[in-house]
Amino acid sequence: MTDRPTPSFGEGNARGIGMAHYLPMPITELGDGTTPLPTTRGAFAAPAHVVDAEGRLETGMLASLTDSIGGMTSGLACLPDWIVTTNLSLRRAPDALRGPVGTGDLTIDTRVMRRGRSSVVTRSTVRDLASQEVATSWITCAVLTPAGGPPPFTRPVKLNHLEFDADPLYRLSPTEFFALEAGPRPGVVRLHPAVHLRNPWGILHGGAVAHLLDSAARAVVVGERVPGPTPGAIVSDLTIHYLNPGREGPIVAEAEIIGIRGADVMVRATARDTGADDRLMNVAVMTVRVLDAEVRSA
Amino acid sequence: MRLLAMESEQSVEGDVRGWLPVTPAIAGPDGGPRIGAVGMLVDALGGMRSITAAAPDWAFTADLSLHLLPTGPIDRLRADIGVLRRGRRTLVLDARLHTDDDRPAGLAVLTFAVVPRPDHLVDIVIDTSPGRRTMSQLEGDQPPPGPYHEELGLESVAIGEVRIDLRPEVGNTVGALHGGVHTALVDAAAVSLGQSLLGPAAATVDLHLAFMELGFAGPLRARAELLGRVDAADERLTAVVQVLDRTDRICSHATVEVSTR
Repeated sequence: MTDRPTPSFGEGNARGIGMAHYLPMPITELGDGTTPLPTTRGAFAAPAHVVDAEGRLETGMLASLTDSIGGMTSGLACLPDWIVTTNLSLRRAPDALRGPVGTGDLTIDTRVMRRGRSSVVTRSTVRDLASQEVATSWITCAVLTPAGGPPPFTRPVKLNHLEFDADPLYRLSPTEFFALEAGPRPGVVRLHPAVHLRNPWGILHGGAVAHLLDSAARAVVVGERVPGPTPGAIVSDLTIHYLNPGREGPIVAEAEIIGIRGADVMVRATARDTGADDRLMNVAVMTVRVLDAEVRSA
Repeated sequence: MRLLAMESEQSVEGDVRGWLPVTPAIAGPDGGPRIGAVGMLVDALGGMRSITAAAPDWAFTADLSLHLLPTGPIDRLRADIGVLRRGRRTLVLDARLHTDDDRPAGLAVLTFAVVPRPDHLVDIVIDTSPGRRTMSQLEGDQPPPGPYHEELGLESVAIGEVRIDLRPEVGNTVGALHGGVHTALVDAAAVSLGQSLLGPAAATVDLHLAFMELGFAGPLRARAELLGRVDAADERLTAVVQVLDRTDRICSHATVEVSTR
């Protein structure tokens, strides 16, 4: 079945707002909203059920945040046109991979670095509660004229200042919220593009793809068929190329280990829409850092 | 490009394979190739692959990511370039890197912006016929090149900062700084920062680079700034590196990992 509906910006259903409720990050446009190259700030309040035991957000979900704020900021620079993310790069600081640095609530400052005729590049800097820079990200977006027009905005923008939603869906662990399924071997992971994982245009949210690819990469490194938390192994940098949208599903990610450098494992991962002739949706290259000596020796 | 004596081979289907001789002039601390030279290889081969993939339009590199594995001393690095997606306005290629004894040596992914062929290139004829050929090399009477970064004319300005004069030898088809030279600048600035904090064995092991503007106003310089703190136990650091032109306009933006391992 094809799901190509008109855009929905959260009018009483989960499409378009599901990810925003799960990863709550109110976004505020800085200034009066008249500058051609906007700057924005996101305030991510880290819910305990989303982060790991140390209070750290998984890299794929952190990428989801920089994709959300980077995409919105890019879009503001293109109004009345809008954008689609074409690729995303994220890198965590080496001292923010374990221990207290980089845990808890995060602030993400985003600015447009370049607004061209057909593409936009934004840079995001992620800081923790101690104001230490813990990650940096840039995304490239293609400019397009969307069917149904751009999202409705009042400038300066205040977005995702959402009321608390008591729906238990948003209290689930990442494993349950994204409902990932194990594939036939470690590194193969399946995702069903449920309505709460779709964006306002009805396609799989880029952040859901980032979590899927991150999960597949960590799973192949630790040799676990079942995706889930991998204490002692974390993605330290990733680049994701968004080649085609995920519409039908199931979406299958496959990760392969390319090689090893000390504690770092280089992984290439793809995601395909098996319901759309196995169409290649994404290619990602990631470094998984193995922090745990036992995992490393295994 | 002449300094590197790269070779390329195009298949009937249009895919491209290329080789980079790994001489002492481009070798890093472990004997494998420096990422700055590998950046030139994948950018040049990607550009070659883009000619047929983007035809009748033209393509400019918009960004690239490049991850290297430790190889130790090798004779040559091989890159195999394939098309991941050809859209209306973007072209995405990937490159798999191998040593001459077929060990994995890294990965690169490149995005190209597809544009109408520029006027000055409308009549240009580029040989894209199948077969192996030398891409460019020094004349027989020219001495063998010295260290790659020195030959490019990179000069250290301060710790983590490197400059280059814009000369025809480091320019692209439109006279701006060549994309492959951007990677060398980024590498040099990152290694400068890394050597000051980690010691002489520091090398750039991966980079994510976005090209912002054509670098027409020389001299250009690259400046590396630390992200977070150095991981002393694992002897690595992460940095943001920007290439700026004479007017301080950002021509490229990169993030890098520098390691001694």
